[in-house]
Amino acid sequence: MGGPGKSRGPGRMGGWIGAWTLLVIVFLYLPVACGVLASLSQSRYFGFPITQWSTRWWQRTVDSIEIGILIQTSVLIALMVTAVSVVLAFMGALAFARYDWRGRKIFQRIVLLPIFFPQAVLGLALLLWFNTLGLPLSWKTAVFAHLVWIVPIATLIISIQVYSFDAALEEAALDLGATRWQVLREVTLPVLGPGIFSGALFAFLLSWGNFPLSLYTTGADSTVPEYLYAKMVAGYTPGVPTLGALTTGGAAVILVVGYVSWIFMRRAQGR
Amino acid sequence: MAEPILRLSGLTKHFGGFTAVKQIDLDIEEGEFFTIVGPSGSGKSTLVRMLAGLEEPSGGEILLRGERINETPANRRPTCMVFQSLALFPHRTVGQNIEFPLKMRGVARKARRARAMGLLRLLQLPESYYGKSVTQCSGGERQRIALARALAFDPEILFFDEPLSAIDYKLRKTLEKELKDIHKETGKTFMYITHSLEEAMVMSDRIGVMRDGKLVQIGTPEEIYTRPRDKFVSEFMGEVNLLKVKRNGAGLHCPSLDATFTGPASKGFDSGYLVIRPEYLRFLKPGESAENQVEGVLYNEYALGSRIQYQVRVGEQVFLVEKLREQRYHGRLDDRVTIGWEARDSMLAPE
Amino acid sequence: MSTLSEAVAETSVRPARRMPRRRLFSPGLLAALPVLALLAIGFLAPLIAVTAFSFAEPRSFTVFGAPTLENYRTIFSPANTVYLSFVWSLVFAALAVVLLALLCYPVAYGLAHIFGRWANLITLLLVFPLFISENIRLFGWVLFFIKNGVLDGTLKSLFGLELQSILFTPPVIVFGMVYVYLPFMLFPMVLGLSMVPREVVEAAGDLGASRLQTFREVELPLAMPGFIIGGLLTFVLAVGAVAESKVLGGQSVIVITHDIEIAFTYAQNWPLGAALSVLLTAVVGTLVLLVLRYLDLDRILGRR
Repeated sequence: MGGPGKSRGPGRMGGWIGAWTLLVIVFLYLPVACGVLASLSQSRYFGFPITQWSTRWWQRTVDSIEIGILIQTSVLIALMVTAVSVVLAFMGALAFARYDWRGRKIFQRIVLLPIFFPQAVLGLALLLWFNTLGLPLSWKTAVFAHLVWIVPIATLIISIQVYSFDAALEEAALDLGATRWQVLREVTLPVLGPGIFSGALFAFLLSWGNFPLSLYTTGADSTVPEYLYAKMVAGYTPGVPTLGALTTGGAAVILVVGYVSWIFMRRAQGR
Repeated sequence: MAEPILRLSGLTKHFGGFTAVKQIDLDIEEGEFFTIVGPSGSGKSTLVRMLAGLEEPSGGEILLRGERINETPANRRPTCMVFQSLALFPHRTVGQNIEFPLKMRGVARKARRARAMGLLRLLQLPESYYGKSVTQCSGGERQRIALARALAFDPEILFFDEPLSAIDYKLRKTLEKELKDIHKETGKTFMYITHSLEEAMVMSDRIGVMRDGKLVQIGTPEEIYTRPRDKFVSEFMGEVNLLKVKRNGAGLHCPSLDATFTGPASKGFDSGYLVIRPEYLRFLKPGESAENQVEGVLYNEYALGSRIQYQVRVGEQVFLVEKLREQRYHGRLDDRVTIGWEARDSMLAPE
Repeated sequence: MSTLSEAVAETSVRPARRMPRRRLFSPGLLAALPVLALLAIGFLAPLIAVTAFSFAEPRSFTVFGAPTLENYRTIFSPANTVYLSFVWSLVFAALAVVLLALLCYPVAYGLAHIFGRWANLITLLLVFPLFISENIRLFGWVLFFIKNGVLDGTLKSLFGLELQSILFTPPVIVFGMVYVYLPFMLFPMVLGLSMVPREVVEAAGDLGASRLQTFREVELPLAMPGFIIGGLLTFVLAVGAVAESKVLGGQSVIVITHDIEIAFTYAQNWPLGAALSVLLTAVVGTLVLLVLRYLDLDRILGRR
């Protein structure tokens, strides 16, 4: 009732908060914009204002075979991480938010620990561990390293949806004669769909952009963020911001497509 | 008559293109228990939120003792509201909740405590509750705590936004009476919002019936009950028999029964509804007669505690008849029965 | 006697099929197992490996030797200045948390209470930078702050001003942390604020509280769990941050994680790096475990 009730002097304060938020968004995107600007500069060394514009660095980046391989590796890792994360995190979320079992409170805290942990240290610890086990480092070990950090995050995201899931739906389905497996397929999964989907989206994008874990665990293979870091340290060319802008654009496309399909999923569920 | 404590003139509220409250004029007298009744979405909550200062009016005026308070924020109005959810502070004890308004006004700790204790007594809560967490209190106790908190700083008017709606029937009946007692004891002006006319009847000095943002009728419970202004109000009063009729000379013609009835005297009534309360209908024994009567089949009966309700079908029309248990109809279901009523017991409601 | 025989009779009469099957694993534990297994192998085991390495001979690459305290002795010896790195990291992290809280509160409040149907879109805009590798974004700031960069170039061409670049100084490291960890403060804050029922805030105002009083007495205590999570998360991540000091700080200051990296890479002294990691983990872990104990996660995540 009553619509969006705003109390005392809503207009002015809302205005200030809106303006502040806008500033924060500008703050977040300013360096991204700087990277795009730099990628469009003709000269080898960056100077502002840009005197000569050119797209040759974009041309070169797109044509580069080396970069093609980097992107392949990054996408491969991200896809593997997404596939495994979704399965583990879905089950984890049920244990986190749906079932009432004895170890639940402890489980909830355990799941949070890897998130509350410095990633660089985690990467080094995994490096030591793989070394102790005698495992050769490659993109496969990187997938595992990403999972340690991303599965807990995906679990949290799916959990939020699971919390709002009405357990009576499952009971009703059982009561109407469905088997456990049918309940999962016909009721639980479709209702939790949007949450699982956002979990998957996060998993893919976080893996795609990850640097600290990849750095120590990919071995001879290299991901895009690693390559960029090496180039930043070892000698600037406008190829660096170009590839940066390219990966940013890729992530943006995935996010927008994902968001739109997510909205359609919610619509289809009628809420 | 003295100056009203609260006067609303042309009070209006828009939300975007939607008008929740339309041009309300109303005077509330000092010390009155005034209740606004309406279905959900009728704008009654928005109205009371404007009076409490939680919503700014889009038009019109709110006058408190003749002074315009449209722009006065909620925390500087001498009024207080009991919310639907009660809005008790979950991180504070019972005592801290009750003392909250006093603490905000810089009242010293000792005086605050004394006042809180007094209010606990007034509301029949044990003094040991002072240090108890509000989350551990029962529904009825929470109601009393919310009321105590609202009374703490001695506001001139108390608003209630359906605080009893989530309470079970029996406790609600008790709390309704308690609230009326507190009203008498404190002598404050109470303004109450509810969707239940029954609740309004029990407590109020006057009732305003609200629909689509407008007050459609204002009057004492007696007036509203016996002389509803239109079909909406009469239906809102509980279950009634409605017959669509058209004036036909001295009588009222009912097309669905193809019968003509005599109604109460009324000027200017042309077409609308003849309203008969179930308790005014009688079963006629052979040889008895009434001013109006119809014949039908006794289809079903429902026990309503002290009363029994009967469903009588006359063609397509269904009549409800209500009798006290000791005056119940002795007969079987599916009997053919004759029911009747006197013209003075019926009402006319325009469309 | 009779009660015993009655009890026996009752058990034998009860149909077997209605007896709940005694299961070793409850459904909850069963669902938790894969995640627990992953974290055992991928989180707990590596930490144990690191701890074991921290007791190995300096500069060795195997844990299977006689344990020694040599690495810890090196770290705690008065001549060693590695404690400075710890101090820098802790100070930077604390500063970043304070700045982030101030920066994020209005935005979080807007997302929780004001933006309404725009909140989803704004959230998306605020989340997106998380998906760009942090070193790419930090490098964008280098381009912004560097000599002849976006800021310098703009000031020069428009106002003829020439300023000392703040790049490669300690303050810009804090700036970078604030930038990178903003979402990690913001979203827990939003969760916290949306735990505060709107009516409770209105009631406080109606009972005579000013805006400041309402904030202090009602909103802040009720939203506290979210604020604590945000603060803790950003603090922990900032303590372990390394990219900010390497990319923006230009090694003007060495933070602790950087020291650990050096030990593992250039210095090729894994046991020393492991010992430093153990100390950092101890600081972070104690803090996290202490705080997490007092939070009810069901309430924080379960409220919609």
